[in-house]
Amino acid sequence: MAKEKFEIPSLEDALDTPPVRKGASGHLKIHPAPPQMMEKLGFPPALVEGWQKKAVDKLGELKEKYKSLKMFMEVCVKCGSCADKCHYFLGTGDPNNMPVGRQELMRKVYRKNFTAGGALFGGFARAGDMDEAALKDWTTYFYQCSQCRRCSVFCPFGIDTAEITMAAREIMDSVGAGHKYSLEVIAKVHDVGNNLGIPKPALSSTLEFLEEDVKEATGADVKFPVDAEGAEVLMITPSADFFSSPHVDSLVGYAKVFHAAGISWTFSSYASEFANFGMFIGNYAQMKKIAERIATVARDLGVKRIIVGECGHAWRVAYGFWDTLVGPFDTLEVKRPVHVCEFTNDLIKRGALKFDKTANDGFTVTYHDSCNVARASRMGESPEGQFDIPREVLKAACNKYVEMPDSVNREKTFCCGGGGGLLTDELMELRVKGAAPKTAALKRMMDEKGVNMMAMICAICKAQFTKVLPYYDIPMEVVGGVHQLVSNAIILGDK
Amino acid sequence: MGTIDMAGKKLEVDEDGYLTNLDDWSREVAGEMAKGEGVEMTEAHWEVVDFLRQYYDEYKIAPMIRILTKEIGKKLGKEKGNTKYLYELYPGGPAKQACKIAGLPKPTGCV
Amino acid sequence: MSALSLFYAGISYAGAVVFFGGLAYKLIGYALTPSPLKIPLTPQPASAAGVAWKAVGSILSFRALWNGDRWTWVGGYGLHLVLVFVFIRHLRLFLSPVPWPLADVQPFALLIGALLPLPLVYLMARRAAVDRYRQISSGADYFALALLLLIGLSGLSLKFLFHADVVGIKEFLLGLMLLSPVEVPEHPAFLVHFSLVLVLGFYFPFSKLIHAGGVLLSPTTMQADDAPDVRHVNPWGGQ
Repeated sequence: MAKEKFEIPSLEDALDTPPVRKGASGHLKIHPAPPQMMEKLGFPPALVEGWQKKAVDKLGELKEKYKSLKMFMEVCVKCGSCADKCHYFLGTGDPNNMPVGRQELMRKVYRKNFTAGGALFGGFARAGDMDEAALKDWTTYFYQCSQCRRCSVFCPFGIDTAEITMAAREIMDSVGAGHKYSLEVIAKVHDVGNNLGIPKPALSSTLEFLEEDVKEATGADVKFPVDAEGAEVLMITPSADFFSSPHVDSLVGYAKVFHAAGISWTFSSYASEFANFGMFIGNYAQMKKIAERIATVARDLGVKRIIVGECGHAWRVAYGFWDTLVGPFDTLEVKRPVHVCEFTNDLIKRGALKFDKTANDGFTVTYHDSCNVARASRMGESPEGQFDIPREVLKAACNKYVEMPDSVNREKTFCCGGGGGLLTDELMELRVKGAAPKTAALKRMMDEKGVNMMAMICAICKAQFTKVLPYYDIPMEVVGGVHQLVSNAIILGDK
Repeated sequence: MGTIDMAGKKLEVDEDGYLTNLDDWSREVAGEMAKGEGVEMTEAHWEVVDFLRQYYDEYKIAPMIRILTKEIGKKLGKEKGNTKYLYELYPGGPAKQACKIAGLPKPTGCV
Repeated sequence: MSALSLFYAGISYAGAVVFFGGLAYKLIGYALTPSPLKIPLTPQPASAAGVAWKAVGSILSFRALWNGDRWTWVGGYGLHLVLVFVFIRHLRLFLSPVPWPLADVQPFALLIGALLPLPLVYLMARRAAVDRYRQISSGADYFALALLLLIGLSGLSLKFLFHADVVGIKEFLLGLMLLSPVEVPEHPAFLVHFSLVLVLGFYFPFSKLIHAGGVLLSPTTMQADDAPDVRHVNPWGGQ
């Protein structure tokens, strides 16, 4: 890999506030979505005539549809509390990557068009037109936000840059300027049922392979059913679990848990994707359409509950949005999606699972809170269940578990650097730099506590860290899933 | 989108250099692509490429990495049937770099 | 009535209408704008009471700012605290008779309120001195601080420099409030002070100063984390 194309941040000071470096990541470009892809998703194929006005009109429309957007445009006092909380700012020093800096790219246009002050005293209020320069900034910096919400934790008004980024992308899509990565993925979900585009025969053969593989390794007949009618549980997981490593190791973990608990379950080939990139592009209709597949299958298969796998943003969508988007799930006995960590933890608490923890004794494990799980959802009944439950599962399966420092943990966790629709090769420089803060924390844990396994419950985090850690001379094997460790240690009964 | 000159022909590729038309692929093209990636093709590299193409022919998708590693383990010896070895062959990743050289479309999603 | 008094009466009423009307317009506008999806920033209480309790704590402590930037917290918290005392200090001009606890705290309120220029100058300096803040600060950001500073300085001058007739001022203000305006005190420093306050009144609802009310309506901090229990319907969701 051409590692020398850009400077790798030093991990020594990656958690410190850098000096402002104007334009430091202004050169990064996204791949535009090709015309046929734009049209497929109902967007104009290319930048439309009069896009300047149309973009402003769209902003005007969205501000009346989203309280968040309207308020976040208007109530910021620019106190600067958020300024050094974004991993991309820490990694690049670019002032447009300060959350408030990024927000200002939209506020400039907002003020000019929707406030008296901006219309009357443009420069004084920093108001500006939607023009070529503004669009260039938008297509650059609204694709340097992973919608992780860390900034909003430090905002006195809870201003969430994710809401602004989503709106910006929706506006850009609506005038014909889209990002290839997310739109290509969404198109594949509509065509095939999952982000990767795995057709049913491939899915079936992959699952058969895993059955044989697990049989070889354990001697147990752990099943990986697909489209099984009459199953109690519909399992929805990110399609990366069917493809990538270490993702698949967690998938094996889910299957072993079902096996050990003796619960009938199935994947669906029609709804073979948990991820919902509709959120990343801020498009309500797409988000709904993607979620619809799952609701449809849940009804058709007649399952009693939906359990979902290790995916961060999708858990946000499932936990917080599914019911609004495509609910109510009246045919289910458990009307709300259950996170696989909740499921496994309940079984552990009830004594239904047994572990041989020594199987994980080769690992000193720490846990990486994924942003959407940490700051946009919950698990279980307690308000901090999203932090505690995965940790409880880990501690049940591993003897050696250590915590990351508070400043990068739980709701203060740093994004992996690849979330929010940025997990694409053309943004590798940004991804490497944005990963620096969390990687610095990990490196310290490795050096001081002997950590050699960072467990997580997000497909994007897993893919991102396995790609970027080698830039920091950290082996990708350090990255794993929570259910991967469950898989290692679980004792398979004869149920 | 663009074109590259390869093996004496103009071939259409996407922004990341993946072939747009699968039929444009030949071993010669693969060799030149590998060179561009800084990968020296050995017997083992070709095993990976051949398996990827064979799997793609049947399933219209690249195989799961685990399937690929197992296959390579079968062919080249068990000690080579792991992700680490695949990354030694293709430092850019078996999914992305090897698929590119094999003329497969770029895998999308959380990979 | 003098032309000056007529002018001030008119502009005062206009200011009151714009200030209170604008505030209501903006805040009701926020409240009526739909929240298509539940977006609480977690961890967050699951009940409205829990959210309210948490919000009281956050607002009284400026918790997020404390966690985000202690040095700005010092200035921001100091400013708002002083403003509370400035408000208390001014209440006596609008209430007749002045209720006893209010009367008793006046000397203390004056003592704290007189510190107003300090946090304002500090915050202005901070905007200019720190590279990140210089980057994000516009003329409007300095304007808000400068306006408050001028109001503060002119107000303090009434107390300490050009002694103003408090009784006359109170009569004027009460007259305005009771809709029977009397002559405006023709005290130059008072007129400056009062005019600047009117500017603030006109400016407030349509500027970032609306954050004072907005803080109570922010969806991320004010929504309960109740998605599993309470069905949320998007009014424009089309179902």
